[in-house]
Amino acid sequence: MTIKEKGYAHWDGEFLDKKFPWWPIARYGIKLTFRKKFFKLFFAGSLVPAVIFLAGIYVSERLEDFKFMFQESVPFLQINPAYFETYLSEGFMLFILIVILIFCGSGLISDDLKHNSLQLYFARPLKKKDYFLGKTAVIVFFLFILTLIPGLVFFIMKLIFAGSFKFFLTYPWLPLSIIGYSILVTAFFSFYTLFISSLSKNRRYVAILIFGIYISSDIFHAIFYDNFHSHYFSLLSIRANIQQVSAFIFSEKTPYPISWIYSFLVLTSICVLAGFILKKKVKGVEIVK
Amino acid sequence: MKPVVETEHLSKWYGNVLGLSDVSLQIEPGITGILGPNGAGKSTFLKLILGQLKPNIGTCAIKGEMIRNNYALFSNIGFCPEQDAFYDELTGWQFMIGLLKLHHFSSSEIEIRARKALEIVELIEDKDRIIKSYSRGMRQRLKFAQAIAHDPEIIILDEPLNGLDPLGRRKVIRLIKSYKGEGRTILVSSHVLPEIEAMTKRIILIHQGKIFAQGDIHYIRDLIDTHPHIVSIKCSDPRQLASKFIQEDFVLNVNFSSTEGTLLVKTNNRDKFFGILPSLFVKYDIDVEEITSPDDNLQAVFDYLVGK
Repeated sequence: MTIKEKGYAHWDGEFLDKKFPWWPIARYGIKLTFRKKFFKLFFAGSLVPAVIFLAGIYVSERLEDFKFMFQESVPFLQINPAYFETYLSEGFMLFILIVILIFCGSGLISDDLKHNSLQLYFARPLKKKDYFLGKTAVIVFFLFILTLIPGLVFFIMKLIFAGSFKFFLTYPWLPLSIIGYSILVTAFFSFYTLFISSLSKNRRYVAILIFGIYISSDIFHAIFYDNFHSHYFSLLSIRANIQQVSAFIFSEKTPYPISWIYSFLVLTSICVLAGFILKKKVKGVEIVK
Repeated sequence: MKPVVETEHLSKWYGNVLGLSDVSLQIEPGITGILGPNGAGKSTFLKLILGQLKPNIGTCAIKGEMIRNNYALFSNIGFCPEQDAFYDELTGWQFMIGLLKLHHFSSSEIEIRARKALEIVELIEDKDRIIKSYSRGMRQRLKFAQAIAHDPEIIILDEPLNGLDPLGRRKVIRLIKSYKGEGRTILVSSHVLPEIEAMTKRIILIHQGKIFAQGDIHYIRDLIDTHPHIVSIKCSDPRQLASKFIQEDFVLNVNFSSTEGTLLVKTNNRDKFFGILPSLFVKYDIDVEEITSPDDNLQAVFDYLVGK
């Protein structure tokens, strides 16, 4: 056949790998989350506990000045690893994380499934790995703002307010614990959220599942514990498992008298299973019924 | 000419269902129509070429490179899927920008390319409307725009004319044909025969996961020896011409058309038939107005091949 002209930029057969191919997906996901109704308000509200804990650190260094206000709270204002653990892994903070996940994570994959966008993504120079990285980065962004960043800020501010490195010398491993815990909880919730988001094309169902599974795991734990009085049923609860591992990371006593290893294995197993199913579910094509 | 797309024994099953069976072919630059009824395996074939499906057997190479997991190749491929693949709440402009970002162009380059693609598909004035408010034709053109925006060498269009009104269809056909002269390789699938025929003469016929035929429509037609050809001749003395034809063993049937002065001759040897035709005209002094082959079109070829 006759080729009259070549109007396109000619391809010479060599392409260079891009550094962060997942970044456009992550940025779009973050932008979209901020556009959601009430999200900004809730997100700002979710930072209130961090401000209170930060104020606690300040007050702990000025106890003499604030004695008239905090006489009964003095034991709580002991700044040690337990203080950090309380902020990072108490029920209220995990609950806030779940609500944030509903906002930022419920539509991450389900919207792509609903709009058949996966085939467009994967018809571009984008690996499945980059797609998942982009989606995970959205969750990481929000969860780190609520876990890693406040944790490290608390630590730095404690040193600044104290005006010495005594705290650092006493707990030199604490920054690593904060980082370790933040990575663990973020990794778990990333798998958890992406997996549930890949189960349905309806974002609302996904939101209900993210919340429902978390809450019902706790309810089942309570029911079974009431009936059988075995602490091993804490392994059924997502919250309890996170708190068990968190206690180990911060060198605290575990809330349930069983080894934290079991909880770690439960969380890891959920991640592995979720990763396996995600890999199967997220495909560019769906042809034969 | 060096083939752009090359497949060898490409086969795909979905459990017990055969998607595509033992497809070995080479596709050169230009427009190639992939034709077959619904469920024939057209989309499977296109998605194997795109590397989005893993073949059970066989290989597929684009410009000599294996496509599967070769993500860099996708910079050079534009894909327009059969189904809508839009975030309805986005504007056409946002949709284009979002997808171009995945190609890692600079911000200014993204805007230039998005604008150019939307201009080509005549959507530039509607770029700020949300996709939800677009008509079916506009959506199809937007899908086409995202496939061409990064200026790919290979464009794969899966049923691009589905659900379009005649005007929209003409617009998209014109768009596709406008890319023919640029040395690109365009693969268009459709189950509507005239649509393909309007775009290209080079086709691949797929039925039940198998390639029935590949090549020029007329060439394929010639391959079908078991089916006679019908030739319509409009001339000054059709009856005399008919009396001469019935003496030839390669002429199976002679009919007079309802159109005045038109003879329909059925032959099983087109070469012999056209070989003696001019001499008959000269010998019996018959004036010829028109000679056509009413069954030398895609519909006839397809019907013969699938055994209708």
